[in-house]
Amino acid sequence: MSVETALVELLAAAVRIATPLFFAALGGILSERAGVFAVGLEGMMLAGAFGGVLAGHLAGSAAAGLAASVAAGVLLALLVAVATVRFGADQMVTGLAVNILAVGLTSFLLRGFAARGEAATLRVPVLAAWPVPGLAEVPVLGVVLFRQPPLTYAAVVFGVLIAVFLARTRAGLTLRAVGENPAAAFAVGVEPARVRLAAVLACGALAGLGGAVLSLQQVGTFTDAMTNGRGYIALAAIIVGRWLPGGTLLGCLLFGAADALQLRVQSLRLPVSSYVIQMTPYVVALVVLAGLGRSARLPAALGTPFRRE
Amino acid sequence: MLKRIVAVAAVLVVAAGSLGPVTAQGGKVAMLLPGSINDQSWNAAGYGGLQKLKEQGMETAYSENVQAADHIEAMKDYARRGFSPVIGHSGRFLSAAQRVGPEFEKTLFVVGSGSGGQGKNVISLDLANEQFGYLAGALAARMSKTGKIGAVAGLEGLPNMVASMGGFRLGAKSVRPDVEVRIVYLQSMEDPAAAKEAAFSLIGAGADVVGGKLNAGHAGLVQAAKEKGVWTIGRSFGHTQIAPERVLTNINEKWSEVYATAVPELIAGRLHGPYIAFGYDTRGTTGGELRYSPEREFNAGVPPAVVAELEAIKKKLASGALRVKPTKDDARSGA
Repeated sequence: MSVETALVELLAAAVRIATPLFFAALGGILSERAGVFAVGLEGMMLAGAFGGVLAGHLAGSAAAGLAASVAAGVLLALLVAVATVRFGADQMVTGLAVNILAVGLTSFLLRGFAARGEAATLRVPVLAAWPVPGLAEVPVLGVVLFRQPPLTYAAVVFGVLIAVFLARTRAGLTLRAVGENPAAAFAVGVEPARVRLAAVLACGALAGLGGAVLSLQQVGTFTDAMTNGRGYIALAAIIVGRWLPGGTLLGCLLFGAADALQLRVQSLRLPVSSYVIQMTPYVVALVVLAGLGRSARLPAALGTPFRRE
Repeated sequence: MLKRIVAVAAVLVVAAGSLGPVTAQGGKVAMLLPGSINDQSWNAAGYGGLQKLKEQGMETAYSENVQAADHIEAMKDYARRGFSPVIGHSGRFLSAAQRVGPEFEKTLFVVGSGSGGQGKNVISLDLANEQFGYLAGALAARMSKTGKIGAVAGLEGLPNMVASMGGFRLGAKSVRPDVEVRIVYLQSMEDPAAAKEAAFSLIGAGADVVGGKLNAGHAGLVQAAKEKGVWTIGRSFGHTQIAPERVLTNINEKWSEVYATAVPELIAGRLHGPYIAFGYDTRGTTGGELRYSPEREFNAGVPPAVVAELEAIKKKLASGALRVKPTKDDARSGA
């Protein structure tokens, strides 16, 4: 295999691994810029992965699956929003609780939907690639970027939309204001609770789509706890990207590239345990966090509940 | 208040323990399972074995979803109530069995898929994973056109993984010494998306047959083979259903037969530990098998000559003429 093909394959793999992370991270950006920690990303992704496969299986349509992924993510996000925004519960604890709930609930429901309580094997056809006419034939970039399944393009579109929304629109400014100084926002007539509710629900929808990337686009089935910590990696990517969609995308791609490289390095037969090689993407994430995380400035009101005086 | 309750409970537990073990009687079998008996996979297979023992006229009992913190107490409880053997259906029950074993000398503790035993009464039952891995490797090597095959697995270095993956590499090299075998290990056995990505990396490097050993993750491996149009080897008939045209066969584990065969022999004292592995060379059951579907052994695409060659290997395994002994190096990651 030539160096060029190897590189193209590596980059294509990095894009595939980064896609579900980026969806979840985009949701996390909205939630955290509005002042609510997005610890529950993992659970929302898992719910989305499950809802998508279940609805896709029952309705026999990919569109129904995607809609259900969004709905399932939003449902869990609603739980987070009510607990943290309405009742001022601790955001970390609520997020973790939601993650644990999602693992239990999805595996329970998976068994509930089959006869005799057996774990149902739900299978759906995976979303096929949509090559972009013309561009797909471009060397290197064509393979890496323009022969992707639909949700990968959607991730890019959402990334651009959210970047523009946050930086250039009034609503985006309001959202950021609530995350920086909810009392000031309240003083100028904004209702912080409502903004945070909307942001958390949008976060659930995007994280749900991240789950759909795994179950509907990549594997075509749901298995217990299949997100396997990706929600937490997305959280790290947000910090690396300093709560900006562009930087966060780079963070996700960096992790994807490290993971893709790790798989290929194992094939080289180095005198190193596979456990050490498997660890590298996570070490990269830690090192980058330690380097960039220090200078990162959190949204000022992140983690603090807002109460009217 | 809470402290007092704990103290009282502790006294009761000690008191119950001092009554001493009830003499073990033949025909009372208990099973501890790490998950739910209707999971359609590991736990269901173990429970199937218990059902067969019940059909043989034994008294049976079981506990599901037994967590690590409860392993020891659950085993002691069944031992006190006179159950023997007490079966822990997963290798992770081994350390508890080894702790409890010396305390209840008259009770047999059996660990399914364990890697060893202790004394006379702690016994591991296992499959001869190296035999099934060896056959899968030989099949993969014969079906490859590129001369490159791959496998995705988890938990490098674990005894049953060394047996499976080392067997795979040895089997492949036995029929085709020049074949290139690449193995990639993952940090999770339950992550299908990661398994698919790992399989893609092997296929990208030229492999046209990808095998391996994962749990829930195995579905991702099969999906990768389906999308790239290469051969693969599954672990259940469900995998055949994902990609009927790409699955060569499955390594089908027959745990219910293992228990149904071994437990009566253990009770009768005709079978002795500390480690008993079932394969083509054991009586009663082969422990596992290669099966494409209930009706067929292999995909229709496997040429008769290859089937015959595998049949010959099975015969050698059964007669003991061929003994597969993989080392950690045979199961190494990479090429």
